[in-house]
Formats: sequence, structure tokens, C-alpha cells
Amino acid sequence: MDSSDHAARARLTALVHTVALAAAALAGALCFPLLAHAAPAAGDEAPGFALKDLSGHNQRLSEFRGEVVVLTFWASYCGPCREALQSAGTAVAAADGGATALGVSLDRDAVRAASVAASLGLEFPSLLDQDQSIGRLYDVQHLPTTLLIDREGVVRGAWARDPVSAQQLSEKIREHQP
Amino acid sequence: MKPTRPRRLPHRGWQLIGASTLLLACAALLAMRADATESAGDLRTVDQDVQALKKELVDLNRDLFRLEEELLYPASTQVAVFLSLNVGTFFALDSVQLRLDGKEVTNYLYTQREVEALHRGGVQKLYLGNLKAGEHELVAVFTGKGPHDRDYRRGTTVKFDKAVGAKYVELRITDRDAALQPEFAVRQWE
Repeated sequence: MDSSDHAARARLTALVHTVALAAAALAGALCFPLLAHAAPAAGDEAPGFALKDLSGHNQRLSEFRGEVVVLTFWASYCGPCREALQSAGTAVAAADGGATALGVSLDRDAVRAASVAASLGLEFPSLLDQDQSIGRLYDVQHLPTTLLIDREGVVRGAWARDPVSAQQLSEKIREHQP
Repeated sequence: MKPTRPRRLPHRGWQLIGASTLLLACAALLAMRADATESAGDLRTVDQDVQALKKELVDLNRDLFRLEEELLYPASTQVAVFLSLNVGTFFALDSVQLRLDGKEVTNYLYTQREVEALHRGGVQKLYLGNLKAGEHELVAVFTGKGPHDRDYRRGTTVKFDKAVGAKYVELRITDRDAALQPEFAVRQWE
């Protein structure tokens, strides 16, 4: 076999590799939107879900349509989550109707979640997301994550990592109350 | 010089003034009424237009929904599973898990409101999907509280033949008074 054959074969191999790489990149770019689960941003509709709360009742987010909902993702091992939960409770109590708070615990251990909720004296339902499917649905990257959902079920505010203050929440709730 | 007394209008003059004032008032009233009738008519027209638009929107929505359903779930492959409750004294429904040919297709948690709606005669569309013609197996697992408030979990299996037309399966939870137990029945429609 002479050197020109070798060169032709090398060129062909390089071409095949380039085409394969380009096809893989294209497939990746096309599939990315399907695989990626972006967190719902302000203006997006809050994805619906149903979960059991700590008292064993099933709660569905869509049943709170018509009320402003403060949704707080938390876990028993997360210190700042306690502040976020208390802010949610205070803001909703100050709203005097028309607003409700829901906590979503990402703990796998329901007993620990229940004991933290009891120690905080939460007066709103805390839901158990033991398989963290709702956490993934909402793309929760940091705890606490608090979302404010308006009366039509649209996300109007999001705070992650640092706990949101009750005052900030109250102002946002007031903006979306009738 | 004798002071002159202001001239008094004769009786006929007063009558004329009164009549013209009355006429003016009547004209004004008529004009106002005509305006009011016209604006009420306008309002009625706007209201009718809004209602007509709303109706068109609802019709359009319905047509789009039908079209979407026909495109996504053509009758030749369509399978729908419904759930209904009849009384439900011996069973408090909590969740239903559906498996079609061994694959989980639905896992639905019921809230208090949804259970109440089912008790009032509501029928829920639990699943809508596509299946090839042939024999298929549907497994429904019901979870809830049974008699004496005990945790209750019961499965029911149905094998059905999917023909060319759409297939409808109804899961029905009823009370078996004689045994004081819930009963899970399955009905099929072509």
C-alpha cells in the first residue's frame, strides 16, 4: 500500500470523526431543552403537584388557585430554612386572608421533618417530598427556596439560598392581592 | 313727581313664560331620555358583543381541545381509564396507581375535595393514552383507609383486547354491604 492510500484513508477517518462529532453536538443541542429542567421563573406558570402533608392529608397546589401562595422548599438540616418558614408564616398571617403558605420538605425522613415543623410551630401545611420529585420539578438548587405564586398560579417572585424577610414577602403579597 | 310703579306683566305674559319654560323643560327631559336610551342601547350592544366573543372563545377552545385529542390520541389507538365512586362508606380513597402492561402510567393522589367530588357522582379521567391493537393488561392499585379506619391496599387486574376503535375502561369502587367491604369493579366499553 502506498503513501497516497494512507493519506486518503486518514482523510476519510478524519471526515467520519468530524461528522460523528457534529451529529453528537447537534443531537445534544436538540435534546438539551427536553432534558434540562429549568426552575420556573417569574411569569412562568407554577408546575402543578400533589403531595401528602405531615398530617397525612393530600394537598394539590392547583386547589389554592384564587389565593396568593408562598411556597417554601426546606429541609430539617438547613438552618436558614427555619427563618424562611417563619417569614412565610408571618407574612401570610399579616395578609389577613387571601394568602396561604405551603412548605415542601425535601427530607427523606418524615419524622425529622415533622419534629422540626412542630418545634417551629408552623401554622401552615408542610408537604413531604421524600423522593424529591417536586424539588427536581422546581429545580431547587439551594435551600431555602421561596416562591411567590399569584392567584392565577403564576410565579411572581423567587428567592433562593438567603431566607426572604417577612416584610419583603408581605409587600409582594400585597401587590398580588385583590 | 309721582314715583312710577314697576310695570307688572299682564297675566297673559306670565302664562307665556310659564308655557315656554315648561316646553323647554320637556324638551330637555326628552333629550336626556333619548341620550339615556341611546347609551343604554350602546351598553347593551357592547355587552352582547362581549358575550358573543366569550361564546366564540369557548367554542374555539372546545374545538382546539377536540382537535388536539384527535391528533394525539386517534380513535384507533386511544385508551382511556376512568374512575368513579359509588357511596364509598367502607373505603376512603387516598391514591390510585395504574400500570399498563407492567409500566406505571399514573399515580394519582386524591385530595379531600376530589374525593368529595367523586362522592357527588363525578367521574375522573385517570389516564388517556395510546395502545396498539391486541391484548393488554391493566393493573390498578387502590390505597386508602378501609373498614375500621385501617390502611387498605388492594389491586385489581383486568385483561382487555384493544380493537380498532377507542377503548374505555371504568374503575368503579362500590360498597359491598353484605361483607362490609369495598368492591373494585371494572367495566369496559368499546
